[in-house]
Order: sequence, then structure tokens, then C-alpha cells
Amino acid sequence: MLEIKNLHVKLADEDKVILKGLTLSVPKGEVHAIMGPNGSGKSTLAYVLAGREGYEVTDGDILWNGESIIEMEPDERAAKGVFLAFQYPMEIPGVAGLTFLRTATNAVRKKRELPEMTTPEFMKFVKEKAAKLNIDFEMLKRPVNVGFSGGEKKRSEILQMAMLEPTLCVLDETDSGLDIDALKVVSDGVNALRGPDRAMLVITHYQRLLNHIVPDKVHVLADGRIQKTGGKELALELEKSGYAEFTGKAA
Amino acid sequence: MEGAAAVSEKAGRGMTVQMLSTKAEQAILASFEANAATLPGGAAVAALRRAAIGAFASKGLPSRRVEEFKYTDLKANVKDVLPLATGGGTSDAATALGAHFGPDFAANAVVFADGRGVAAKAGVTFLADALGKAPDWVSAALADAELSASSDLLLNTALFTDGAVLDIAAGAEVAEPIVIAATAKDGAMTALRHVIRVGAGAKATIVEIERAPKGSGVRQSSALTQIMIADGAEVVHIKLVETQKGSLHLSHWQANLGANVSYKPFQMTVGEGFVRNGLNVLFNGQHSTFDYGAASVGHGTGHADSSLIVDHKVPHCTSRELFKTVLDGQARAVFQGRVIVRPNAQKTDGKQMAQALMLSPDAEFDSKPELEIYADDVVCGHGSTAAEIDPDLVFYCTSRGIPTAVARGMLIESFIGEAIDKVEHEGLREALGEIARDSLTA
Ligand SMILES: Nc1ncnc2c1ncn2[C@@H]1O[C@H](COP(=O)(O)OP(=O)(O)O)[C@@H](O)[C@H]1O
Ligand SMILES: [Mg+2]
Repeated sequence: MLEIKNLHVKLADEDKVILKGLTLSVPKGEVHAIMGPNGSGKSTLAYVLAGREGYEVTDGDILWNGESIIEMEPDERAAKGVFLAFQYPMEIPGVAGLTFLRTATNAVRKKRELPEMTTPEFMKFVKEKAAKLNIDFEMLKRPVNVGFSGGEKKRSEILQMAMLEPTLCVLDETDSGLDIDALKVVSDGVNALRGPDRAMLVITHYQRLLNHIVPDKVHVLADGRIQKTGGKELALELEKSGYAEFTGKAA
Repeated sequence: MEGAAAVSEKAGRGMTVQMLSTKAEQAILASFEANAATLPGGAAVAALRRAAIGAFASKGLPSRRVEEFKYTDLKANVKDVLPLATGGGTSDAATALGAHFGPDFAANAVVFADGRGVAAKAGVTFLADALGKAPDWVSAALADAELSASSDLLLNTALFTDGAVLDIAAGAEVAEPIVIAATAKDGAMTALRHVIRVGAGAKATIVEIERAPKGSGVRQSSALTQIMIADGAEVVHIKLVETQKGSLHLSHWQANLGANVSYKPFQMTVGEGFVRNGLNVLFNGQHSTFDYGAASVGHGTGHADSSLIVDHKVPHCTSRELFKTVLDGQARAVFQGRVIVRPNAQKTDGKQMAQALMLSPDAEFDSKPELEIYADDVVCGHGSTAAEIDPDLVFYCTSRGIPTAVARGMLIESFIGEAIDKVEHEGLREALGEIARDSLTA
């Protein structure tokens, strides 16, 4: 279970406060959506979960399976099952996709005390997962994300997720920049990972994604706090009414 | 700066050339006098050497006031001069090449030990042996006026004890890389001169290797390569220098390109010594390409300087330079790329990029592009960056479970790999990649 308790976050080297007492729990086996206007702190929450530098937790805590993770390095969190699919996946010139995937896969396996994959095992595994996500295997020989289209980058994120077999999946605007076919492929990839041992936090700006990845709960994030929580129908309401109600409250 | 101090101190007592000299310069003059009688070559070569040492005596070692040595002040940095090695050494090819190179490379290697050729190979003669009956093209090369411009080159002319003479026939396609490897004992100076002629339409890969393995003592070496490439030839020319702390390596390549030539030099420098890689390219024929790559990895107080002068004398030629360096500790790298486009050299296409990855706040990167363009219809550009490892990329990697140190290593390797990838020969590229990797983790 993911428990975010009264989380206060500011930028480390500026006075800007972004999260102002965010509280939220996602039990294992559930998929929760976070919706909110631009600039409300959705990506900040995602980054703080993954352990990015530059953000300072001034109050509150984040527990994953009962253990506080806020002091952990990102790779330690990854080993504990945390995975963030980036809103803007990064390009790594000079590092081949396969090398990256293999290094990452074996690094987390090692920390999880699983045997490292041999080359044939790894190749079989990656080919299988890539095929399901409609990813051309040749693409993985190229440097990570370099020259990929927006949709290719998002699929590449989901492939990494499938390879690393995380237990807490955080997806930050995975739908942005996807056409309807790509959205279907990505959603199928995400849905395939749904299971009783996984918790998922799906961040999105639009309701559209939630037709494909149907959430158990929907939270509205505005002004650094969860303003409202409801079932999947809340997403539809928001689609009609927009966020004015909540941003109004913030102002 | 020491040299300058010596001038003012002694000026009042009547200044002579000798009095200008630093201790190192005096030692070089003395070394020449001690060895002059036994250095290889007949009367003509002896006269050439005598003229060179005379010119050296008046110029002295280049100081930072000499533009090409702005960041590599030999006058200030060369404090002592080691005795000239004139042979007597032994080394097999495998030792000379060092780790990372397989037997295939050793089988094609010409080896120089302590300044004299010890392992020959078909098609290559030793300059010391050839001098008595040197063909005209070799004699002409040795006397090339371009080489009297700089005192590091004069030094080589005065002192060279041997070198490789390589004459690749027109149309020849040499499949395997020709390796020229030089080793030396600790505590000695060596000076080698290689003279290479590549005939029209020929194809060859030439690899120069000079490596002092970890644990080696102080060594000094000068290596000057002259390469004349005839029309339509395709040449890959690689140099690997590995030096240890306190050592000095002065390298210079003088390349003359005919028309429709493809010349691809690649130079890699690793280690903690003081290294200078000079390279002058003259475009003498149209539609030729110079595609240069360099990778260096510096540690400790290592110093690696690549200074190029690319002279577009004729129209329709292309020059490319990519210099990449990773700097740790107090290491320093220098890239000077001077590109001259003569008034009639229209349609010249010249681009250069110099990039440093700074791993330490005490490292230093000096990059100086110099475009001298006298023609109007040309495309020339340059760029230079010095940056630390991108923390966002490190985060991306670590968020995938990759430990920080591994992530940094991967990013450093990929940075330098972009330059090494210019080497098309797979075996060479892999060997150079491993050498860079090992030297990064040193
Ligand atoms: N590293 C940062 N530097 C400066 N401002 C930031 C940084 N991260 C977030 N912010 C600011 O914090 C607010 C929340 O941003 P973000 O978390 O990206 O929102 P969302 O993902 O909901 O659009 C915005 O005003 C954004 O400009
Ligand atoms: Mg965002």
C-alpha cells in the first residue's frame, strides 16, 4: 500500500511551495487516477515519489509497504518496486536501448536478490514485451529515446515498466501526445500489469485515458492538495465542468 | 616563464642565444652534440640536422607566446631532458601494443624499441637503414620547409634516430591495419620520424601506438609523421598515446592531401602525462575530405593538447573535427582548431566541435577555434561545450534502478563513445573503447 501523508514539498533552491499537505492512499491491487489543472503539482508528486533531486519534503511522509521512502535514493526505490513513467522521457545519446534495459533489469534483479538474466534470457524477455507494445526491436538498438516520436517514447516507457516488473507504477501523463491507436496499445500494456500485488497511480489531464485504464478511484489535485475524491464517474464530471471549481477555491 | 626570468637576469651581461636558454634547452643542445656523430644519415641529413638544431637554438622551446602552444607552454613545463635513446632495446609486438590488442594487430606491427626499429614487416623499411640510399620522395619529405616553422619539429629533425618508411603503391588496398608501435625504457628520450606515402587510389589504415603501461617511469618522446596522400586515396590514420605521470610526448602529423582524398585521422590520448598532438593538414587538391576525431581521458595532472591547422588552399574541400575529452582531477585538455580558407578556396565546408565532460571542479578545458576565412562562398562553423554530467539523465537512469556510479559511468562512456564511434574498423574501435573505459575507471 502507498500512503502519502500530509506531504509538503517546495523547490529546494527556491521559495516556491508546490505541495501543501497532500494525503492519499493507494492499496495494492488498485488503480487510482490523479487529475488536475496544469501546474497543480502532478508531476512534482510523481518526481517526489521517484526521488528526484531539486524538491524538498518539508513535512509529511511517503510510505510504501509501511516503509518511509523519502530518504531513499531513486535506485533503491526502484529496487523496492517504484517505477515512474515520465511525462517527458529523456533521451540518452550514445547508450543503446538494449544496453540500458539490460543494465536496469539486472540491477533491480540483483537488488531484489533474483538471479541476473543471461543474454539469451534477456533477449527472449525483451522481444516478447516489445512485441506486445508494438515496438520495433530494431528501435531498441538505437540510443535510448533519441529521435523517437512522442508516441514511441511513451511506449518505450511502458516497455521499461514491463521489464522492471515494479509493484508501484506511477504514470505521468502517459496519454499526452498519443493518437488513439497508440493510446490503445499503451493502455493494454498498462492493463496487462494490473494485478493484486500492484498499486498504480495514473496522472492525467484528460478523462480520455481513463476509458482505457479504468480507475478504482479518482482524485482531484489542485493548489497542492487533494480537493476531491470519487469513483471513475468523477472523471466524467470533470470532463464536463472543468477544474474551475477547484482553481476557484485555490484563488 | 623560467626562460623569461633567465633573460632579464642575464641581459645585462650581454645577451647571447645560449644565455636565453632554459636548462632543458641547454640539455637538448648538449644531447645533440653528444649524439650528432652517430645519428643516422649521410652528409645531407647531417646538414639538415645541424640547420635544425641551429634554428632550435635561436627559437628555444615554444612558450605560451607562440600561438600554437598558448596552453601548452613547453618552455615552462619541460624542466629536464632525459638522455636520448639510440637503440639497443628489445620488445615484441605484443608488449609494444599492450593490453587490449589481439594477436591480429601484433602480427601486422612494426616495432620500435628505444628509438630503433626491432621488428620489421613487409612493405615497411626503417628510416635509419634507408637514409643512405633514401629515395627522392623521402629526402624531400625530410627537408620539407613546413617543418622548420616550429621548434618542436626542429627538435625532431635534429634528433630522430629512426622511424618507419611506408610506401603504399597506387591502387593498393591494404586490408589489415598497418601498426607502428613504439616503446622505450624509463628515463630515456626517443625521437622517431615516420615518412608515409600513399599512392593514388590506394586504401590503407595506419595505426600508431605509443603506450607506457601503468607503473612505467618517466619517459620523453617525440614522434613526427609526414604523410603524403595522392589523388583518390582513402586513409584512416589512428594514434593512441598512453602516458604516465611526469612523462612527455610530443607528436606531430603533417598531412598533404591530393585531390579526391579521404583522410580520416583519429587520435586518442589517455593517462597522466603531458601530451601534445599537433596536426597540420594541407589541401592541395580539390574535393578532398579531412574527417578528424579525437578522444582523450585525463586524470591527475594529465595534459592533452590537440592543435590543428587545417589549410584549405583549394576549393571544394571538406573538413570535420570532433574533439571529445573527459577530465577528472586537475587534468587539462586543449583543443585549438585553426582553419584557414584561402581566397580561392570557394565552396569550402568546414565544421568543428570540441566538447569536454568535466568530472572535477579543478579540471580545465581550453578550446580555441580560429577561423581565418578569405573566401566568400564557404560554409564554416564551430562549437565548443564544457559541461558536467547531466543530473537529469543520472536521475532517469537511477529511477530505473541503475546505481548512481553505474549511471555516471554509462553516461561518461557514451559521451566519449561518440568520438570513438568514428573509428569504423570494428576491432580497433572495440580496443580503443576498452582502453577508454579502463582509463575512466582508473
Ligand atoms: N524544477 C522546477 N523548477 C521551477 N519550477 C517548478 C519546478 N518543478 C515544478 N515547478 C513549478 O511548480 C508548479 C507545479 O508543476 P508540475 O508539478 O509540473 O505541475 P503539473 O504536472 O501538474 O502540470 C508549476 O508552477 C511549475 O512551474
Ligand atoms: Mg506534469
